[in-house]
Amino acid sequence: MIGTRGFKKEVTMAMFKKIVKNFGPEWGAAVMGTAAICITMQLSSEVSRFFSPLLYVGVGFYLLATVMFITFLIPWILRFFMYPEEIKKDLQHPIRGNFFPTMPISFILAGTGTNKLGPMLFGPWFAYHLSIVFFFLGAIGIFIFGYLLVRTQFLNRDVRLEHANFSWFIPPVSHLIIPVLGACSMDVYWAGTNLAPVLFLISMVALGIGFFNFLFVGAAIWHRYTYQGIPEARLAPTLMVGITPTAIIVIFLIKFIQAVEASHGGLFGINFMSLFPLIKIIASVLWGYSLWWLMLVVILITHYITTKAHPFVFGWWAYTFPFEAFTVSTGLLAKCVATQFLHGVLITLNILVVIVWIIVVFGTIKWLESGAFFKPQH
Amino acid sequence: MKARSIIVSLAIVFIPFIIGMTLFLVKSSAVIRGKAHFIMDTRKNNKGITYKGIKVDWTFCPDWEYKPLFFPAEEYLVFMFHYKNNNDYDVQLMPSYTFASPADRCYSSNEEISMYIEDDLEKSLKADDQTPITFNIPPNASKHYIVTFEKPERLDSFYIDVDVFRDITLVIHYKKENGIWEDYENELVKKYKGRG
Repeated sequence: MIGTRGFKKEVTMAMFKKIVKNFGPEWGAAVMGTAAICITMQLSSEVSRFFSPLLYVGVGFYLLATVMFITFLIPWILRFFMYPEEIKKDLQHPIRGNFFPTMPISFILAGTGTNKLGPMLFGPWFAYHLSIVFFFLGAIGIFIFGYLLVRTQFLNRDVRLEHANFSWFIPPVSHLIIPVLGACSMDVYWAGTNLAPVLFLISMVALGIGFFNFLFVGAAIWHRYTYQGIPEARLAPTLMVGITPTAIIVIFLIKFIQAVEASHGGLFGINFMSLFPLIKIIASVLWGYSLWWLMLVVILITHYITTKAHPFVFGWWAYTFPFEAFTVSTGLLAKCVATQFLHGVLITLNILVVIVWIIVVFGTIKWLESGAFFKPQH
Repeated sequence: MKARSIIVSLAIVFIPFIIGMTLFLVKSSAVIRGKAHFIMDTRKNNKGITYKGIKVDWTFCPDWEYKPLFFPAEEYLVFMFHYKNNNDYDVQLMPSYTFASPADRCYSSNEEISMYIEDDLEKSLKADDQTPITFNIPPNASKHYIVTFEKPERLDSFYIDVDVFRDITLVIHYKKENGIWEDYENELVKKYKGRG
């Protein structure tokens, strides 16, 4: 009897180790794709009283994302200590390596969700302090991986032009997302405190890094797509990541103006009344670019579907977060311009976001069932 | 796809909706509900302020209780501001609100708590809250805006800065006398427009 129990324990342990060994850096994308829905729901709930229950559905997504986050974080961290050679291999990989920041991004998203919906669960004081902890942990992780990945990319002699794809946008996007939580934190609680200058500086530094890296990396990927053709079908979902940088900058700009407003109309001498009209224009321009890119994704994905196979791979999670970021940017832009029209767009997008998420969840379970988890594609 | 995988997928997909609907029903019932106690509506005794054809009124609840799901209830200072445009043309408003009390730092309103209590407040006052940062008011129309402030402990007096006009700030002063909040002064203060 004891022997059987011991054997079972050994088998479970061996299975756990196998899971840890194969637990790729990309799993943070699933947390991201689930966590951001809590914000799309929250914004949709504000459209009219009819949609109020969506606020609570958002809390449901927040709790599910938290469970996923904790569940995935354990093997993700253990892998660094138990299988450092696998980590090194993934970091060197021109595609997989770029997914490492997805877990620190999950910290920032957990913080953003806690900032928006946490007061409903834990009250404002606890929620705002917890979200600040997430902010610093996420920012540290993003800066570390940002340096590691650029260093690896510059020193790796095996990177070729044909490796360029939109997953390369993940490190710049990870930096762009830091100021979103920074601005959210300054907006409601930390505006008049000693932490405000720290949050402001970290946010602005991250914004600068993310913005310029997005332009430079974007040019490299565009070059590849033009002169080498589009990548193979399994990388097709990464096209969607192209929506994200401008959508996230829109989110940041509107959260930032709310932070300026929260600082009695002036944050470090930045005047609300002078800045707001400019932000309305810039945010609309950037949102327009994301919309254009969404159409481009539809066109290219149609091309993939009609000319090549487009089977489910874990990378399909790339369809979720970027689309959700665009939905959030729509909801926030509606607070500044064309409110009625954009509210309609927001509700439509929110429905589509949920449909995409459901498809990807089903696909992931089927993908796991097929045993693909233990056969990572390089 | 195996039946077990379909069940797992369905469970994951339904979890947020089941949690959400349960919370919505529980929150909407009397089980977890804050108490509402309005002490003043300036529309009733004509105490509001008119400036440049815009009438500003407010309804005040000094002890709106909101209970987070896992933590004890806390009290908030809740206002609903009512803006009526008496001009012959549309006006665009972009109000912001700041709370200040003698012993505490001043801070801005809490949009999140406003969002959670908005349904109850809208039903109580029969008015719809505006969610945009900036909103348009046609001639002779009214719009409403919910403002929630966290309530410091041992609060005896405070004032609210309502920044809604370009050149002046509406300052609403409250103090507690014999346990009752009194709006003892409302003033229009000119804004500083110099350099620096």
